[in-house]
Amino acid sequence: MLADIEKYLYREVRLLDERRFEEWTDLYTEDGYYWVPAYPNQDDPYKAVSIFFDDREVMRTRLSRLDHPNVHAQKPASRTVHVVSNIEIDENHNVDGEVLVHSTLQMMEYRLDNQTSYGGRAQHLLLKTNDGFMLKWKRVDLINCDSSFGPLAVPF
Amino acid sequence: MTAYNNSALRELVQPDRVHRDFYINPEVFDMEMERIFGRIWLFVGHASQVPNNGDYITTTVARQPVIMSRDRKGEVHVMFNRCTHRGSQVCLEQSGNTQRFECPYHAWVFNTDGRFAGAPYPKGYEDGFLAKEKLDLVKLPRMEIYRGFVFVSLSTDVPDIDVFLGPMKDHIDAFCDRSPEGEVEACAGVFRYRYSGNWKLQMENQTDVYHIMFTHVSTTDEDGKQFRREGAEEDEAGKVKVLAQDSRLDDQWEEHPLGGHRHGHVYMGRFAMDKKNSGPIYDRYKASMEDAYGDKAEDLMTVKTHNSIFYPHWSIQHLTQHIRVMNPISVDCTENIIIPLKLKGAPEEMWHAALRSNNNSHSPSGMVMSDDMEVWVRCHEGLKTQSTDWVVLARGMNENFTGDNTGSYESHGTSESGARNQQVAWVDYMCGEG
Ligand code: FES
Ligand SMILES: [Fe+2]
Repeated sequence: MLADIEKYLYREVRLLDERRFEEWTDLYTEDGYYWVPAYPNQDDPYKAVSIFFDDREVMRTRLSRLDHPNVHAQKPASRTVHVVSNIEIDENHNVDGEVLVHSTLQMMEYRLDNQTSYGGRAQHLLLKTNDGFMLKWKRVDLINCDSSFGPLAVPF
Repeated sequence: MTAYNNSALRELVQPDRVHRDFYINPEVFDMEMERIFGRIWLFVGHASQVPNNGDYITTTVARQPVIMSRDRKGEVHVMFNRCTHRGSQVCLEQSGNTQRFECPYHAWVFNTDGRFAGAPYPKGYEDGFLAKEKLDLVKLPRMEIYRGFVFVSLSTDVPDIDVFLGPMKDHIDAFCDRSPEGEVEACAGVFRYRYSGNWKLQMENQTDVYHIMFTHVSTTDEDGKQFRREGAEEDEAGKVKVLAQDSRLDDQWEEHPLGGHRHGHVYMGRFAMDKKNSGPIYDRYKASMEDAYGDKAEDLMTVKTHNSIFYPHWSIQHLTQHIRVMNPISVDCTENIIIPLKLKGAPEEMWHAALRSNNNSHSPSGMVMSDDMEVWVRCHEGLKTQSTDWVVLARGMNENFTGDNTGSYESHGTSESGARNQQVAWVDYMCGEG
C-alpha cells in the first residue's frame, strides 16, 4: 500500500511541475479542496485568512487562468520542482475507504533569475477507489506560512 | 547635501507627467520618509486586532518597528519596539497576549501600556536614577482612534486628524455603517506580501481604472466576464457562490465615477459591474440593518465606493472588505498588509464569502493582486532606463479636473486624475506646504 501511495503522491506533484493543471484538478473529488493556511495550527479555514483555500470551482478558475495567454504574473512562467518525502500513513485514521497520509514537501521555484524555496508538511486525505485513489483534500502547512511573500502562482 | 531643493522637487511633477526620479531615486525616498511619512497621520492597524486586555501586535510604521497593545485597563497604545536600555526590540511575535514585555538582553520589563516596570540588579544604578530617568517604552508622538481605525504620527506637529481626513472620514463611516452594529472587526489575521517596486506605483494603481481590463485579463473568461470581486451571489439553497460570474470587465468603464480631496486622498466609485445582492442570506442581513437603522438601512447597505485611498499609504477596499496598508521598505520595495474586516452583526455566511474572496483575490497567491505586483515591478525596472525621463499621466487632462490640492474634485472613467491628485499633494508635502 505504501508503494501505491508514494506513486500517487509523486504523480500528484509531477502534474504541477509539468503544469498539467487540469489533470491535477481532476485528482480531487467534486467536494474536494486544497488548503494552505496563512497561520500555523489552524483547524478551520473560516477562522483566519488562507494563502489557498480552493474548492474545485476556485481551483478551475485559478488554474485555467494560468493557461491564459496574458497571465502577466506568469509570463514567463515559473519552473518548479516539488520534492515529497517522509511519507507516513496515519495509523490513527480509521475511516473505511480513507487513507490519511502525512509527508514533508518542498517546492523550488525559479522565475526571472530568482530561485525561491518553500517547505512544509503536507497531508493528503485519499479515498480508495476501484482503480486507485481520489483526493478528498490536500493541506500544506508551510513553515513560513505567516511571512511576507512574493507573488505565488503554482500550488505547493 | 541634497540635490533637491524645493524648486527641483517641483520640477519632478509637471501637470501631465512626472520625472522617473519621483519613483526610483533613493534620495527622494529618504526625503519622503521625513517630509511625508514623518509629518502626517499614518495608519497602524484596527483596534479589533487587539480585542482583549494584554493583546498586542507588532508591525512597522514608516520602516520603524512598533507595538500596538491593549493595556490591562483596555486602553490602546502604540509604542516603538525598542528597549529604553540599549535598544533591543522587546517583542518579535506578530501577535499575542502578555502581562508585560520583557527585553531579551538584560530583562528590563515594561507593562502593556509601555510603562517601565523594573530592571534586574537595580542597585547597580545610582540612587534614584531608575525613578527619575524616563525609561518607559516611547509612544508614537500622537495617536488617534476613529471607529477602531488607529492612526499615529511620527511628529507632534501634525494637523488635526479631522482636518487631515476631511471628507474621507465619511468613507470610514460608510464602511462601518454597513454593519448592523456599526462596527467592523479584524478577526481573521492578515496577509503580508511585498513587491520590488516603489510605493507610489501601487498608490497610483489603486485609482487606475484604465489598467483593469488589460492587467487582469487572465481573470476573465472567453466572453470577457470576470468573477465577482465581492463574494456573495446566493443559489436557491442560500449557499454563497464565491466566484459567481459578473459582467464583462470592459463594460461602462468610461462612466465610472472617480474623485478626490485635499491632502492627496482619492477614491473610485462603485463599479458598474457590481450587481446588487439578493437571496435568503441577504434578506436576513437586510432585516438586521432595518432593525438597527430603520429607513436609513437601504442607503447604508448600498456600497457607493469601490475603494477609498488615504494618502500616503493605506486604503479601504469596500467591496472586497479589507484594509490595505502599503508600507514602504525602501525606494524599490513595498510591503502590503491586507486586513480583512468583518461587518459585525451581519450573517456569518456573508463574512465567510468575504473571507474567501480575499483568499482568492488578495492573498499572496491572489488572482488579482499577483498581476498587479508584476506590473509594478516591471514599471520600476523600466523606469531605470535612460530612454526618457518622463512618465506620462495625461489621460483626462481635458476634463474638468480641479485637483490642485485646494479642494475636492470629481472625475470619471479611465482618467489619470487620481494619480495627479496624489502627485500635487506630494509636491506640497515635500516642499513643506502640505
Ligand atoms: S537592551 Fe533591553 S534590557 Fe538591555
Ligand atoms: Fe489591479
